[in-house]
Amino acid sequence: MEKVLLKNIENPNSADIGEYMKAGGYRSLPKAIGMVPKDVIEEVKKAGLRGRGGAGFPVAMKWTFASADPKFPKYLLCNADEGEPGTFKDRPILEKNPHLLIEGMAISGFALSAEYGYIYLRGEYPAAKHILEKAIKQAYEKGFLGDNIAGKGVKFHLAVHQGAGAYICGEETALIESLEGDKGQPRIKPPFPVNVGVFARPTVVNNVETLSNLPYLIEVGGEAYAKIGSPECPGPKIYCVSGHVERPGVYELPMGTNLKDIIYTHCGGIKGGRKLKAVIPGGISTPVLPPDKIDCLMDFVNMPKHGSMLGSGAVIVMDDTVCLVKVCYRALKFFEHESCGKCTPCREGTGWLRKILGRIENGEGMEGDVDLLLSISGNVLGKTFCPLGDGAASVVQNFIKHFRPEFEEHIRNKTCKVSG
Amino acid sequence: MIKITINGKEITLEKAVTVLEAARSAGIKIPTLCYHEQLEKYGGCRLCLVEVEKMPRLQTACTLMVTDGMIVRTETEAIANVRRSTLEFLLINHPLDCPYCDKAGECELQDLVEKYGPSTSRFKEAKRKVPESLDDPVLVRNMERCIVCTRCVRMCEGVQGAAAIAVVERGGHSHIEPFSGGKFDCEYCGNCVSVCPVGAMMSRLHRHSYRPWQLVNETETICPYCGVGCTLIVQVRDDVIKRVVPRIGTAVNNGLLCSRGRFGYEFVGHKDRLTSPLIKKNGVLEEATWEEAISLVARKLGEIKGNFGGPSIAGIASPRCTNEDNYVFQKFMRVTLGTNNIDSTARTGYAGAQAFIENIFGQGSTANLIPGLSNSDAVLVAGGDPTAINPILGLQIRACARKGGGILTIGHVKGLRHYSPAELRPSLFTETVLLEGIVSALKDKKGLPGSNQALENKIKDIGVSSVEVAKVCGISEKDFSAFIDKLSGSSNAAVVIGKELVQSRGGNYKLLLLAAVTYLINARVYLLSERANEQGLLDMGCAPDLLPGYRPLGYAEFRKKYEIVWKSTIPEQPGLTIFEMIEAAKGGSLKAMYVMGENPVYNLPNSKEVEAALKKVDFLVVQDIFRTETAKLADVVLPALSWSEKNGTFTNMERRIQRLRKAVTRDGMEDWRIISEISNNMASKTHYTSAEDVFAEISKVSPLHRDLAYDEIEKETAIYPYKGEPLRSVTGDILTEKGGPAGLEGKLYLRLERPLFHSGTLSRRAQALVNIYAAAVARISPATADILALKEGDVIKISTAPGSLDLAVSVDKSVDDYVVMLTNNFEGKGAFGLMEYSIDPITKAPVIDGNVVMVEKVGR
Amino acid sequence: MFSENAKKELEEIRLKYPNARAALLPALYVAQREFGWLSPDAYETVSDLLGVPKAIARGVGTFYAMYKHKPAGRNMVQLCTNVSCMILGAERLVDFLKGKYGLEPGGTTQDGRFSLVIMECIGACGTAPAMLVNDDFYEDLTEKRIEEILERYK
Repeated sequence: MEKVLLKNIENPNSADIGEYMKAGGYRSLPKAIGMVPKDVIEEVKKAGLRGRGGAGFPVAMKWTFASADPKFPKYLLCNADEGEPGTFKDRPILEKNPHLLIEGMAISGFALSAEYGYIYLRGEYPAAKHILEKAIKQAYEKGFLGDNIAGKGVKFHLAVHQGAGAYICGEETALIESLEGDKGQPRIKPPFPVNVGVFARPTVVNNVETLSNLPYLIEVGGEAYAKIGSPECPGPKIYCVSGHVERPGVYELPMGTNLKDIIYTHCGGIKGGRKLKAVIPGGISTPVLPPDKIDCLMDFVNMPKHGSMLGSGAVIVMDDTVCLVKVCYRALKFFEHESCGKCTPCREGTGWLRKILGRIENGEGMEGDVDLLLSISGNVLGKTFCPLGDGAASVVQNFIKHFRPEFEEHIRNKTCKVSG
Repeated sequence: MIKITINGKEITLEKAVTVLEAARSAGIKIPTLCYHEQLEKYGGCRLCLVEVEKMPRLQTACTLMVTDGMIVRTETEAIANVRRSTLEFLLINHPLDCPYCDKAGECELQDLVEKYGPSTSRFKEAKRKVPESLDDPVLVRNMERCIVCTRCVRMCEGVQGAAAIAVVERGGHSHIEPFSGGKFDCEYCGNCVSVCPVGAMMSRLHRHSYRPWQLVNETETICPYCGVGCTLIVQVRDDVIKRVVPRIGTAVNNGLLCSRGRFGYEFVGHKDRLTSPLIKKNGVLEEATWEEAISLVARKLGEIKGNFGGPSIAGIASPRCTNEDNYVFQKFMRVTLGTNNIDSTARTGYAGAQAFIENIFGQGSTANLIPGLSNSDAVLVAGGDPTAINPILGLQIRACARKGGGILTIGHVKGLRHYSPAELRPSLFTETVLLEGIVSALKDKKGLPGSNQALENKIKDIGVSSVEVAKVCGISEKDFSAFIDKLSGSSNAAVVIGKELVQSRGGNYKLLLLAAVTYLINARVYLLSERANEQGLLDMGCAPDLLPGYRPLGYAEFRKKYEIVWKSTIPEQPGLTIFEMIEAAKGGSLKAMYVMGENPVYNLPNSKEVEAALKKVDFLVVQDIFRTETAKLADVVLPALSWSEKNGTFTNMERRIQRLRKAVTRDGMEDWRIISEISNNMASKTHYTSAEDVFAEISKVSPLHRDLAYDEIEKETAIYPYKGEPLRSVTGDILTEKGGPAGLEGKLYLRLERPLFHSGTLSRRAQALVNIYAAAVARISPATADILALKEGDVIKISTAPGSLDLAVSVDKSVDDYVVMLTNNFEGKGAFGLMEYSIDPITKAPVIDGNVVMVEKVGR
Repeated sequence: MFSENAKKELEEIRLKYPNARAALLPALYVAQREFGWLSPDAYETVSDLLGVPKAIARGVGTFYAMYKHKPAGRNMVQLCTNVSCMILGAERLVDFLKGKYGLEPGGTTQDGRFSLVIMECIGACGTAPAMLVNDDFYEDLTEKRIEEILERYK
């Protein structure tokens, strides 16, 4: 498949606007603003583009809601908070193809009549901040941002806003709170951001990868775009693979590629020829899969049918040297650390789950702990203010569902059979 | 109409509300913890999760708005499990402190666990431990008990507006603390304590000395401190006040309190309370019996009246005493002693300002409601900080800003600085020019309405340009025109006026200018009132020129009516104001003085002069609850019952009459009863057996209070103009005297600080308030400190013509430059001891802003 | 107090937003640089400059993991130990840092040269283990590579 999102990134100067334009960039933006905004949205609808942050919400629908709201100005926020453990698919775009994102944002801003955009960039990507700010400056100089884009009187302003280390800010309402200068605690919905978002204005929050699809989408048109991937989930997808494979890294493939192919064909199989033990398909919050369940198409529609989720498309591959109790424990340490503290079950539950898993991991597990873990996580699941709690609960539930004997052995033997 | 079904019961609603509100309206209980009707929705505790058909996840009833046809279930087994597990989550870190936690018995968590919670714990891990914090003098924090419901934070930031506490860190490490981590250094309103559902944040007063279920003696009464008139619930155990708490739904304050009302009650049980009458023998006050004291007073006053006539006697009434006390007092002065020499400290500003404004706009034009002030679209504040003087009114202003109203201030108002006020800060002594400029600009913008000729005649020639304002006052034309735009664009504004403006040179003229502003933008006026019954005592006729019902004495037809009811003549000539009394005492023409519930030696400027004057009076009677500076000079001291020990009524600054109730029993007599006893001893028989009896007479005598009785007042319906007869069209000419110009000449001036935490000398004996603000300091701005080469904590001697004081420096960026601010609350360290005054010819208020002060560093 | 440069920087930052409050997070980064960490003074300064009550500012600042609330070493070693890094040996690196430099998570070396903060996934999972030292990114870490890298930081 010809690269769309990771196009030209082997070029050491790929972040420079000159190189970007030489490779064909900034042609879609003038084309888009020569159209009427609602026609641009129509193309996105035809393309069937769905959000790439993990939720998979149809992009055209979100834009239509915001566009229809009578309040102005409107805002487009790029969610560059990439914090789902295992995920590193947005960083290559931010650091090596920033203009793709900038052009994509300008097109999107035009489509939904937003005059202002911010890139909410996680604090852990300091290099990306410099690269983006430099690229934005270049785009302003060339007239692709500002009050009069490409000389057609269209206005779109863009700035980078840096986060400061909070995974929860990847949730769109928490992101908006953080942008407004507050803690990243999610907001009560309704109202939804498309009506009342940042600074109380209609706001669309889209992922880096989602917005980076726009230049290509406009270039070839929605119909042609939809020919990549599958009819239900079209478009290219960056899968990022980490863990025990021969060739970890980012892979731009058609949406719906089989997980087995990703691991064995593209990534060269399990490192050192060892045995596969478990795969997390879409970032830590997605249900873990045992080795006999990796024959599945990685998209928004098929993964749920298969008992997991596409999430961010971040594949974590674990071989038989990995203690899954330890992984589960580490995952809960993550969720406990990142819980915003607003709601009771997540604030108290993640800590409790972590403590129990810690005991088990350290050889102090007690009989009944596994059932207790299931009960507590069951009390968290579905009761929290936002999906972070669901992620934590789901990790515990699914690890135990597929690997219960390992947990029980760990408790009985007071030690891990893997690391010994 | 919206129809929903909850647990099979159909409920019809007129407008969209939350599922929780809908359930409550139908009597269906849904448990909550983080929800509070006065606070912004949170949705965090998850206790109110309910099932809603067609919605895949459980929904929080407190955040979900109803829609037509919604079907809700609140009592399924799944929901019972959710409630149990939610409480289980809260209990894993919440300590089992119930046996000694002061909240037990009124703890929302305890009540919920009893109903819905798990009976055993499955938690086998280590609980988090947080030690109790007694870092703060007034509030105790046991944050181990905190369930992070954030009610306190939402109250502090969203309602009180002090933003003193916040949740720090996140997740399971979340904890709530003030900026310092220990001391709150906040406004100490205690509203966080009111809303905390558990024993995490509580008052330290009477800690571990009661259980909530022992506080069966609960009395609803009115606060003794300022003119807002908040309703307090006084909780008593063994005749000692244990707590003062608010109640949601009360008339003026609706569940909110300030530091004084909430924590200022300890003066009632203070050991310094006078318990016995005292008679001065050989220069020393000695205990005496009531018989001795009363007969002495009756005899001496009778003698002096006989020898020198009524006008040689003067009486000072009390803005802290009830309407009943004050009514009986003025009647005693007029009927028994034959004098109109009755006045009070209302003369220091409130009385004159009110007379001036109401002379222009009519009686009652300053009687505007405090609840609802927040619905104004603009609030202009001049002459004081409402958040310190009348805090609950200040909260309305903050709420107004939150609702989108524009806040405008003349001068810097510290308590409103976070509310994006349009602030014009004129250089010292140029306020008049600024106000003239504002009036001129408003006239240009809006034209003259044409409904008040007298006022228009006074202002039609005022023409000060923005250029002149810039030149004289140091205010940029840009700021000035933004201010005018904001002010002129309002259609429902409030103008709030404080005493500092009245007590300044040309104060009466400034009042005219503010009246003009009010007129030009069609606003409502509020006069800040520093004492609980300042309005009441005026309405009771405790003024040299007023009769009960705020009727002017000077009109013979009014006087005649009272003479008939009182069966006595009333002297024709108006009496002396309080300042004229001081002069008369100094001059020797005042032979006797009766001071009720007031401390003029401390509470009037030029204290030494006042002291010298009162010493010259032949016979001084002081009736009070403490041995004040004035009481020390008395020939006879009569101990009275204080607030919370007696029944009666107060009239607040809205002119709303409210009931005070007895909560604590103490031997002794109410002020009105003492005076009645004296009166009876002087053959002026009285027949009052209760405060209600007194009020019954008031309602017969005063046209304004006609047919008003306690049961009506108790129904909270005694709002001006009641059922009586307000004074109509007795407006006179509008007289003003502008006063000469003033030059700054690089000197320093003394200003009175009006602190949030103190009030007169009463708060000196409320230990909690003293713990918050312990001693007098000299406040100066950073720029002034630089000029004087002074640092925080340096000890300086400040000297004025009357005297000098040694004080520690406090550098405060909210203070104006070239000014030294000093309170008048601390014993021996009062600003009034250093202040000379002149009398404003129109308002008769003391002008105190011209006191030049010299500063000398004397140590650290 | 902010230096003149910092004040200017804050003014530029402020222009990116329609109100002062939204500039709080970037302002706290500036303050962190100026004061070395977000001390009570730092919060009071930001509070005054932006008109945000200081308790609120502190509540916001302490929510985020990348603001420092105690004095730290001259160089911040930010090492990830989340799942992908962990299964590729990050924990051994933590032990290495302790053994070689006496550097523990949340702590600072005796000579004040390094502080260690454990990170929650810094987006380098494919090249794990990974870390940031100040603003510099390092991937494919081994004990030897860490030693070489830290040499460059004084």
